[in-house]
Amino acid sequence: MTEHDNDHSRTTRAVGSLLSTLQERAKELSCLYAVEEVLFDPNRSLGDIFKMVVEVIPPGWQYSDICQAQISHNEETYQTTGFKETQWTQCADIYAGESLSGRLLVSYNEDRPPADDGPFLKEESKLIETIADRLGHFILHQQTREMFRVLSRTPQRNNGGDRGEWRLALDLMWQTDPNLFGRIIRKMMNHLCWRGVDEAESLLARYGGGMWTDGVIGETNQPLKKTDTEGLVSLGEEAFRIATLYLSDLEILASIKKWIGEDKSGFLVRSLVNAHAPLSTITDALMKYQHLVHDKSELPRSALASACVSLTRRFFTDQLEFINIAKNHVEIEDFFELVGRMVSPAGSNGKLGGKSAGLFLANKILQNNNHHTGDLGEIRVPKTWYVASDGLLEFVRFNAIEDVHEQKYKTVEEVRQEYPHLVKVFKNLHFPQEMKKGLSMALDDFGDVPLIVRSSSLLEDRLGSAFSGKYKSLFLANQGDKEARLEALMDAIAEVYASTFGPDPIEYRAERGLLDFFEEMGIMIQEVVGTRAGNYFLPSFAGVSFSNNEFRWSSRIRREDGLVRIVPGLGTRAVDRLTDDYPVLAAPGQPRLRVNASFEDMVRYSPKYLDVIDLVNNKFQTMEFSSIIRDLGNEFPQIEQIVSVYSDDRLKAPNALTTDYREDDIVITFEGLFRNTPFLKQMRAILQTLEESMGTPVDIEFASVGNVLYLLQCRPQSHSMDVESAQIPKHIPPENLLFSANKYISNGRIPDITHVVYVSPDEYGKLEDHSSLVSVGMAIGQLNKLLPKRQFVLMGPGRWGSRGDIKLGIRVTYSDINNTAVLIEIARKKGAYVPDLSFGTHFFQDLVEASIRYLPLYPDDKGISFNEDFLSNSPNLLKNILPQFGDLEKVIKVIDIQKVTDGKILRILMNAAREEAVGILCPPESPVAYEDESMESRGLEIEDHWKWRHRMAERIGATLDAQRYGVDGIYLFGSTKNATAGPASDVDLLIHFSGNEQQRRELEHWLEGWSNCLDELNYLKTGSRSDGLLDVHIITDEDIEKRSSFAIKIGAVTDAALQLPLKKE
Amino acid sequence: MPHSSFNPYETAQKQFDNIADKLDLDAPTRNLLRDSMREFNFAIPVKMDDGSTKIFRGFRVQHNDARGPFNGGIRFHPQETIDTVRAQAMWMTWKCAVVDLPLGGGKGGVICDPHDLTTGEQERLCRGWVRQISKNIGPLSDIPAPDVMTNAQHMLWMLDEYETIQGNKYPGFITGKPVGMGGSLGRKEATGYGVVFTLREALKELGIRCEDTTASFQGFGNVAQYAIDLYHQLGGKTVCVSCWDQNDQVAYSYTRKDGIDLAELQGITSRFGCIDRAKATELGYQLQPGDAWIEQPVDILVPSALENQVNADTVQSIKPSVKILAEGANGPTSPQADKFLKKMGVFVIPDFIANAGGVICSYFEQVQCNINYFWERDEVLGKLDQKMTSAFIAVSELAKKKKLSTRDAAYVIAISRVAQACKDRSWI
Repeated sequence: MTEHDNDHSRTTRAVGSLLSTLQERAKELSCLYAVEEVLFDPNRSLGDIFKMVVEVIPPGWQYSDICQAQISHNEETYQTTGFKETQWTQCADIYAGESLSGRLLVSYNEDRPPADDGPFLKEESKLIETIADRLGHFILHQQTREMFRVLSRTPQRNNGGDRGEWRLALDLMWQTDPNLFGRIIRKMMNHLCWRGVDEAESLLARYGGGMWTDGVIGETNQPLKKTDTEGLVSLGEEAFRIATLYLSDLEILASIKKWIGEDKSGFLVRSLVNAHAPLSTITDALMKYQHLVHDKSELPRSALASACVSLTRRFFTDQLEFINIAKNHVEIEDFFELVGRMVSPAGSNGKLGGKSAGLFLANKILQNNNHHTGDLGEIRVPKTWYVASDGLLEFVRFNAIEDVHEQKYKTVEEVRQEYPHLVKVFKNLHFPQEMKKGLSMALDDFGDVPLIVRSSSLLEDRLGSAFSGKYKSLFLANQGDKEARLEALMDAIAEVYASTFGPDPIEYRAERGLLDFFEEMGIMIQEVVGTRAGNYFLPSFAGVSFSNNEFRWSSRIRREDGLVRIVPGLGTRAVDRLTDDYPVLAAPGQPRLRVNASFEDMVRYSPKYLDVIDLVNNKFQTMEFSSIIRDLGNEFPQIEQIVSVYSDDRLKAPNALTTDYREDDIVITFEGLFRNTPFLKQMRAILQTLEESMGTPVDIEFASVGNVLYLLQCRPQSHSMDVESAQIPKHIPPENLLFSANKYISNGRIPDITHVVYVSPDEYGKLEDHSSLVSVGMAIGQLNKLLPKRQFVLMGPGRWGSRGDIKLGIRVTYSDINNTAVLIEIARKKGAYVPDLSFGTHFFQDLVEASIRYLPLYPDDKGISFNEDFLSNSPNLLKNILPQFGDLEKVIKVIDIQKVTDGKILRILMNAAREEAVGILCPPESPVAYEDESMESRGLEIEDHWKWRHRMAERIGATLDAQRYGVDGIYLFGSTKNATAGPASDVDLLIHFSGNEQQRRELEHWLEGWSNCLDELNYLKTGSRSDGLLDVHIITDEDIEKRSSFAIKIGAVTDAALQLPLKKE
Repeated sequence: MPHSSFNPYETAQKQFDNIADKLDLDAPTRNLLRDSMREFNFAIPVKMDDGSTKIFRGFRVQHNDARGPFNGGIRFHPQETIDTVRAQAMWMTWKCAVVDLPLGGGKGGVICDPHDLTTGEQERLCRGWVRQISKNIGPLSDIPAPDVMTNAQHMLWMLDEYETIQGNKYPGFITGKPVGMGGSLGRKEATGYGVVFTLREALKELGIRCEDTTASFQGFGNVAQYAIDLYHQLGGKTVCVSCWDQNDQVAYSYTRKDGIDLAELQGITSRFGCIDRAKATELGYQLQPGDAWIEQPVDILVPSALENQVNADTVQSIKPSVKILAEGANGPTSPQADKFLKKMGVFVIPDFIANAGGVICSYFEQVQCNINYFWERDEVLGKLDQKMTSAFIAVSELAKKKKLSTRDAAYVIAISRVAQACKDRSWI
């Protein structure tokens, strides 16, 4: 034989054996199906069933021609013709519930070549077990069904109940399931004792102990001994005799029914009660339950509720608030799907995390409510797989890198420095086989749709900890072959895992006292909602919605009207505050009141960019909308609902026939969506339903494709950072109260205001010429640049930024006010008329994106405090700061609060729920009674930021070679000098310079080096990066003389620059 | 308190008195022209979306129609006052007269905040305004137009209501309509082109060839872009434009010594005239601070962005090379700066006439609607050229003859034309 022939025959043999293996598997499967088919008809008698089952078994075995089967049950046997027990026999016991109820035998009549277990294959051993198992379930089901039939017949026939009926049921039980019978007697005795029946107590004492603890009727799998069973019967007689004395027949009947039900789901509850039971046990129990319980109404509500609560606790959280809500909405069946999509390490004990929990619950709530209200429409949740939270621990253990757990105790600089390496390390680690297998299954389930890997931290569900965005969420294009996709998926999960040890979350946790909490991180792998358009993958639109509107742009909008931030493409751009773009805003409760009334504003504040997944380059990408629309034209999904066409100074709805999306001037307005679809109505219904059910305002993330809305996330709105409501102290001494307000209040807390710019409404109204009115706006613009950023407030009459009549409000643009902390509009009564305020509408969206708060004051309303005397008569610094605007001294008041009040600051506290806001003067170091400690710890953090900056500024002064660079003096001002610098603050330096061009260049060079170094240092400390930390202003003698630009800071009356000592010669 | 404060109407009256002194107008003429001829103040009940009814206050002020039907905008503003509307109506009379349009001045408004109104409510408000005043306005008596917070859509609602009441079609009842719905071609270009028509005439008068000039523009919006377009067609060279940068919240000037390429810059400019800073730098434009536009060594400065940009401070940086300042924006020059410019010998083309292209085109819209025949774009722009040119010549000749500033000359012409019309009708 040639080599080739050899190969050939080897191949043929291999193929042959593979084929026969496959054939065997197919036979086994069809056998199992045949058994299921027989069992499918619950109306067949058990005898018939067994007869049929033995017939379908032999074809499932390898040597079916010599195969026989037998089932014995209750002393009856059913078998194929010619069955005999031979030495080649397999056997499996049949358990109905926990009691042995019969036996299944399969035997060969003749000898056959040995395989795994005698002549039998190991698959066949498994098969016989499975069939026995299924038969056991079926028998149990039939038995309980029979009992229920008897029990439920009774009350209908006779309202008082019939003694005969429950007796019949007990007899039946005794015959079919003595174990159950025993447990029912025990429950009855307990029940009677509970009710204080003495006889029952003595009975219990008499029979107590041995009867139960010896396990005779307990949960053993041994058949009962004859003598014991007799004892049991007489005990039963006795117990129920006593029962009839104290309970009505109806009560007895109901109790028996309830206990049978409890008993049936008992295994589930029992496995759940054990907090240490691994997830796999629970999954098994759930699956068993799924097979076993066909009709839930057979089970008592209490047992179901208890199981549900346990499951909720096990999979999601111990938090009582959550469980309380969940138990009203979640059913056991809801967990079936969940366990089918879980990836967990072997023996996992983990949970799924906050994000998963919120979404799971919200989805159930919406589904349950869908019958009641039509407005909810169709809502789906994208297909999701979950990785249990201890996956991270297992991952760490498997790769033996346990020392990462110490990471969080290092200094934040160290953490930041090491983090990039840590990410690299994590991405090179391996996943335990179990998890890898799970993830591979997940990918098979998903196919090649783009995915998002999101963290679902156990910390996220803790109230008051807004972890959103602290951990990574990664998009995966998920294209290419399976191996590459799996690699990418594991890579992404590793990166999300690494983010647990990143500087931002660690710092954040440290601030909130959550550092010692052992971090476990669940992962959600979610299908990205979207559709393919050209080379991109994107939803038509997506966004976030809040059930409380904290940014109302009209007095007609109530807080509960909600807020939607919506963008085309992926929702990332709506979730984050943007600096260069705007999402479209709408209030679902007032769908027709738009933020932008004029078409110019609608165009200006429309989104210009969108996020998509680029399927060709396999990555997440931000694109200019105009370029993507040129590319896709009307292939852009639902384009007609998203855009308007700008022509002839109008925004028109697109026309299917004439609009050319590639050529026309397209603006994103969502007019079509808002006007022609029930979207806003649906959104309102969703928000209201969720708020009502969860008992708290919520925020949700959503995405839409093909007119179907998907829910992506749901959490209490209090978790969003910038809508934290402030606690307003009860008794504020009148001298410390600068103002109060009680209309159109949003939430917010602005702690450390050092300066107030107050434009007196009266004096502004008295200005006689147009140019003075214009110069008020100009002065404000200058002050905006000079006062410490976000540490001052602007208070003025009417509408800031008024475009019409200048008399009605100070004419400013957004850049004239963009450094203020709060924009306050004062509406003073004019005769009988109180003017409307603008709600900052002219730059409303700019304010929203920059988190500048807006507050309207109505000083003439009843019960409102307004300390006009303080504002009008405190020393005014305007003349000193801006001498050129000195003539406006009466109109504009610039007040240095710290100076006027001996070191106090102004704190504005806003509480929307109470419709209350106050501005109070208080010392900076004694925070007003405030419940959230986190705020105080943030205060501490600020201290750190300014201190080291201050030290560094002094170092710069001390090392600056004044002679060489032609420097006369160096000054510090701004937030570092004022001890208010935050993580992103720069260091404002003023350099008095008198050298030549060359020296200036060299000086700038030298400072640039410092600036970059400090920036790097600051980055390590805070994660905030800029183009250099120093903001240097070079001024000359001439500037000082003219007091132009920043020169006025030197020796200024307020917020004067601090001179730093120069290098000693 | 209110009477002592800034009152736009009093300011307008003072301005009028000043010119009236120069013209030595008699008392009855002064009394007639100082005040509005008719004022309407009325209630507009509007059914709101929630079923309630809200009463809004509407105005129409008709200043003077001696030269033709009143015309002027309708403003929606929450703190509208009758005095603001009066001042604007008077100003409209002068504005039409200076470019010799056969129209009078009017203005209207509603006290409301469109931010607080849904689209449906705004429509009912517009229709309500027309219902209350329809007897007193019309294509032959008073023609409204868009103004603060009103746009083409509001105009179409008002037109529709008027035509429904009258039972006939009157496209000439209102202006500011979209093309195809009674709007005029050439409106986009009108203001910017108009600036350059007057600039061309000014150059002619100074004996300078346009091809030999350079210019610097403040602003890069609609007006500036079309002005640059025509200026380049005439052979001029723009070396600097400034614009507001939305991202940085600060203005920048972009300069190029051999002249900017308009099409190239337009390609990297947003709808609102914001030039992409990064791309411009890439294309080799030099980035300078926002104020740098005024410091350029050019022949012509065209402030076409905001008011009060050429003021006591900035005027000092104007280079001696500058010969002409064409006011594309409204009120870009402060009175102090005006004096300084006069001293420097800079020829100022006042906003009054330089940016009158918009009003003229609005008049053309009425004319075309009334004859129900619409001109091609070139015909519109050609007629615009004629109107502006003759208006400029009249102003500049009077200024020379009477040694007035061009600004004063424009006012003098406007007011004397209206006064003359009143006399011709023997009203006074």
